[in-house]
Order: sequence, then structure tokens, then C-alpha cells
Amino acid sequence: MSGRKPYKQQLSRTCWFMTSARYKTYMLHEISSIFVTIYTIILIVGLFRLGESREAWEGWLAAVTSPIGIIFHLVAFAFFLIHTTSWFKAVPQATRIMRGEEVLPGNILVGAHYGVFAIVSLFFIVLAAVG
Amino acid sequence: MSAVSKPSPKAIFWFLFAAGGTVCAFVLPAMIFITGIGPAIGLFDQSGLSYPSIYGFFSLWIPKLALFGIIFLALWHAAHRLRVCAHDFGIRADSIVALTLYGLATIGTLATIIALLRIG
Repeated sequence: MSGRKPYKQQLSRTCWFMTSARYKTYMLHEISSIFVTIYTIILIVGLFRLGESREAWEGWLAAVTSPIGIIFHLVAFAFFLIHTTSWFKAVPQATRIMRGEEVLPGNILVGAHYGVFAIVSLFFIVLAAVG
Repeated sequence: MSAVSKPSPKAIFWFLFAAGGTVCAFVLPAMIFITGIGPAIGLFDQSGLSYPSIYGFFSLWIPKLALFGIIFLALWHAAHRLRVCAHDFGIRADSIVALTLYGLATIGTLATIIALLRIG
């Protein structure tokens, strides 16, 4: 008889991340990639439709504005915002900018990213609105 | 550790993941607002997304290259992250997963080039 008590893994292989808020947030970032993939495929299909004919392009637009299309894009939009905020949050950990002897504070770095994000977004929207 | 380390292909995928993540963070919310949400609420479908307007825009080389860059990086960023995702959901056949996902990203990249070249 041995007194050995081997460790048995209690965690589920598929839902381990449900055990902590930190892991849930982590999985939320990871899952955003599913929406990036689907959205990219939708864009590529749109480009093919655009090259085909006017009717094909307008058919693509109709599909985008169908109920399923609207639901998908709203959910994907939320995930893209999660991706943006979590990506910017990690910037100070990934980038260290020295100003003289001092490290540039993280909040300035993150703030600058949001500033550029606002300018880029505005540029895209103005471009689309002007036509 | 030897002083001269062999370059690893991992670096390429990691670079594409990081570059793609950064580009996606900056441009994807605005892009999906324009192409996905705008038309549903009557924005852009008479302006930027109207056929003559968008066809003319993507007939130009700079918009073509810019959109190619965004889609290319988004595809490879997502492929790398989905590979990690598969592992996190308990799928341990990493080489098959990697081959499938990077293969799909390659197909997506080629499809984007073909689609863009057919416009204009």
C-alpha cells in the first residue's frame, strides 16, 4: 500500500476559463478572432460582388442589411470594440518609450492610441459619407 | 544558448499577429460601422457605398493596396489567434490546426488579390 495520492486534474478541457473572471475576459479577446474571420470573409465576398456587377453589389448590400446580417454585424462590432480596448490596454506592457531618463507613462501612451483611433475612425466615416 | 540562434518561422506568424492586431484595433470598428451597421440605418448606402462611388474608389491603386493590407493582416492575425483558441478549447492537434488555419489565411489572401484586381 502506498500513500501516494496522485493529482487529478479537475478542470474541464473545454470550459476551464469559466472558473475565473480573468480567464473569461481572456477568452473574450480570443473569441473576437472568430468574428474578425467571418467579417473578413464577408468583405472578400463583397469585393467579388463589386467586381461582378451593380446588381451583385446591391445584392450583397441587401444581405448585409437582412435581419441575420444586422445581428451578426452588431455582435461583431461589440467584439471589435473589445479587441480595440484590450489591445490598447496592453500597449504599455508591450512598448516602453524612453523620454530622457524617464519611461513615458503608460496612460499617455494609451491615450495617444485612443487619439489616433478617433482620428482614423473619423477619417473613414467622412470618406464613406462624402462618397 | 548559442550566440547565433537560427531564425524561426514562428517570428513571422508572431509579427503578423501583432501587426494585424494593431491594425484591426485601429480600423475594424469604423469599417464594420460603415459596411455593416451604416447601411441598415440608411447611412452611406446613397453615398460611399453606392455602386458608382465604391467602384470608382476601389478602381484606384492606393485604396486597393490599403484594403489589401487591412484584410491580409486581419486574416493572419485571426488565424494565429484561432490557433491559440483551438488549444484553449481543448483541441491538441496543433500541427493540423495550424496547417488548416494558415492554409485558409493563404486562400483568403489570394482571393482578396483576385477580387481587387477584377475591380476597375
